[in-house]
Amino acid sequence: MSDTPEIRLHHVPWSRSFRILWLLEELGLDYDIAWHDIRKGDMQEPGYKAKSPAGRAPALEIDDQVIFESGAITQYLAETFRLGALGRPPHAPERIAYLQWISYAETMAGVIEQLNINHVFLRDPSQASPVVIKLNTARLKGTLAGMEALLGDQEYLLPSGFSAADTMMGFNLFAAPYFVKLDAFPRLAAYKARIEARPAFRRAAARDGVQTFYDRDFYPVPGPVDKNVDKLKG
Amino acid sequence: MMRLHHVPQSRSMRILWLLNEIGAPFEVVSYPFDKTLRSAEFLTLSPAGRVPALEIEGERMFESGAIAEYLCERFPEAGLGRAPGSPDRMAWLTWLHFAETVTQHLAALTQQHLALREPAQRSPIVTQLEAARLGKCLAAIERRLSTPVENRDHLLTSGFSACDVAVGQAVYIARHFHRLDGFPELSAWYARITARPAFQASLPAPEARLYTRDFYPPLEETA
Repeated sequence: MSDTPEIRLHHVPWSRSFRILWLLEELGLDYDIAWHDIRKGDMQEPGYKAKSPAGRAPALEIDDQVIFESGAITQYLAETFRLGALGRPPHAPERIAYLQWISYAETMAGVIEQLNINHVFLRDPSQASPVVIKLNTARLKGTLAGMEALLGDQEYLLPSGFSAADTMMGFNLFAAPYFVKLDAFPRLAAYKARIEARPAFRRAAARDGVQTFYDRDFYPVPGPVDKNVDKLKG
Repeated sequence: MMRLHHVPQSRSMRILWLLNEIGAPFEVVSYPFDKTLRSAEFLTLSPAGRVPALEIEGERMFESGAIAEYLCERFPEAGLGRAPGSPDRMAWLTWLHFAETVTQHLAALTQQHLALREPAQRSPIVTQLEAARLGKCLAAIERRLSTPVENRDHLLTSGFSACDVAVGQAVYIARHFHRLDGFPELSAWYARITARPAFQASLPAPEARLYTRDFYPPLEETA
C-alpha cells in the first residue's frame, strides 16, 4: 500500500457505512464516496458484487484491494493508520473490551435492522409481525441497558479513551432512538451527545446529509399484541 | 481451565468447534434455549443474556466474534488467525465478520420458524425476504470460492482458518432455511471442512437439537 492510499467508500446514507465515514474523518484520511441507494438495487449489479460479493454496503477500496463488512473495515483501518492510535492491538490490556464492543455494536445493529425491516421497509403494515416488533424492541432495550451499565462513568467505551469501538456505535445511536426512547439511559444519552460533538463526527454527518429514511420521529410498538408474548422472550 | 457456556446449535457452536481445533483443555456448560439465559447469574457472565460466554484466565468474555478473534491471538500456534500486517489479514477480518452477517439472517429465520409458535404471530413476507437475503450470502461464498484462475479449497488463499469455522458453522445452520443446490463450490468446501474431526466433535447429541426438522421452507401467505 502507498503512503497516501487511494480510498473510496461505497456508502448508503444513514446505514452501517456511516461508521466508516466517521472513522475515515477521525483518521484524517482523504477519500471519496461512491453513493448507493438501497431501494434502487444498484448494489446487485455484477460490477459491484465483484467488490462486495453479497451486494452490501459498506465496502472500502484501498488502492487495488477491497474490504467489506463494517466491523472488518473498522478493525483494519484502526490497526493500519495513525500508528494504530484508534485501535487496541493484540495483547494490549483493553484488547478483550475493544473486540467485545465491536461485536456488541453489530449484535445491536442486527436487532435495529429487524426493526427497520418491519417498521420502514414493509410498506404494507399488515405484512409486519407485531410480535416480532415487540420482541426486537425488547432486545434493543436490553442491549442499550447492557451498554448503559458497562459505560459507567467513562467518557467513551474504553477506559483509556476514544477508539474505533466508539465509531462502531455511529449507526446504532442514530437509529436506536426511533424505536426506543433514550430517556431511561442517561449515561448513554450523555455519551451520544459527547460523540456527536466531535468535529470528525460533525464533518461525517454533514457529508451524510439530512436523513430521509425514517418518515417520523418515533415508531412505537403496535398493539395490542398476544399476551403470550412474554413467554417467548427466552 | 477455559469454560465455554454453550447452547447446542447456537452461535456458541462456532466457539466449540474453534476450541476443538485449538486442542487446549476446556470444559463446556450447556444450557437449554430458554429463560435460563436471562437469570441474574448468567447475566453477570454475558450482559445481554446471550451465548457464547467464555471464561478464560480469570476474564469473562462474551460475543462470538470477539471470542473467536481473541482465541486465535491467544493460541497463534493453532494457525487459525492471521495477525495484523500478514498478507491475508484483510480477508481474514472480512470473512470472520461476514459470518455474523449470515447469522443475523439465521437469527431472524429462527425467530420466525422456531421461537414464534403461533402461526398468526409470524410474518410470511419476513421469512421469504430473509431466506432470499440468506441466499445472497450463500452466493457470495460461492463467488469467493470460485476464482477465475484456480478455485480455493478454503475461504482464504493461505488455507484453513477461523473464517472456515465461523462461516462453516453459519452454513451448517443455514441449510435448515436454504438449499445448497446450485452452489457447487460451496457444497464441496462445506463437505471438506465438516469432515474435520473438530467439527464432528462439536455436533449436538440428537436429543439436544434446537432444529428438530431438516428444513423450514419460507411461509406462504395464508390470507
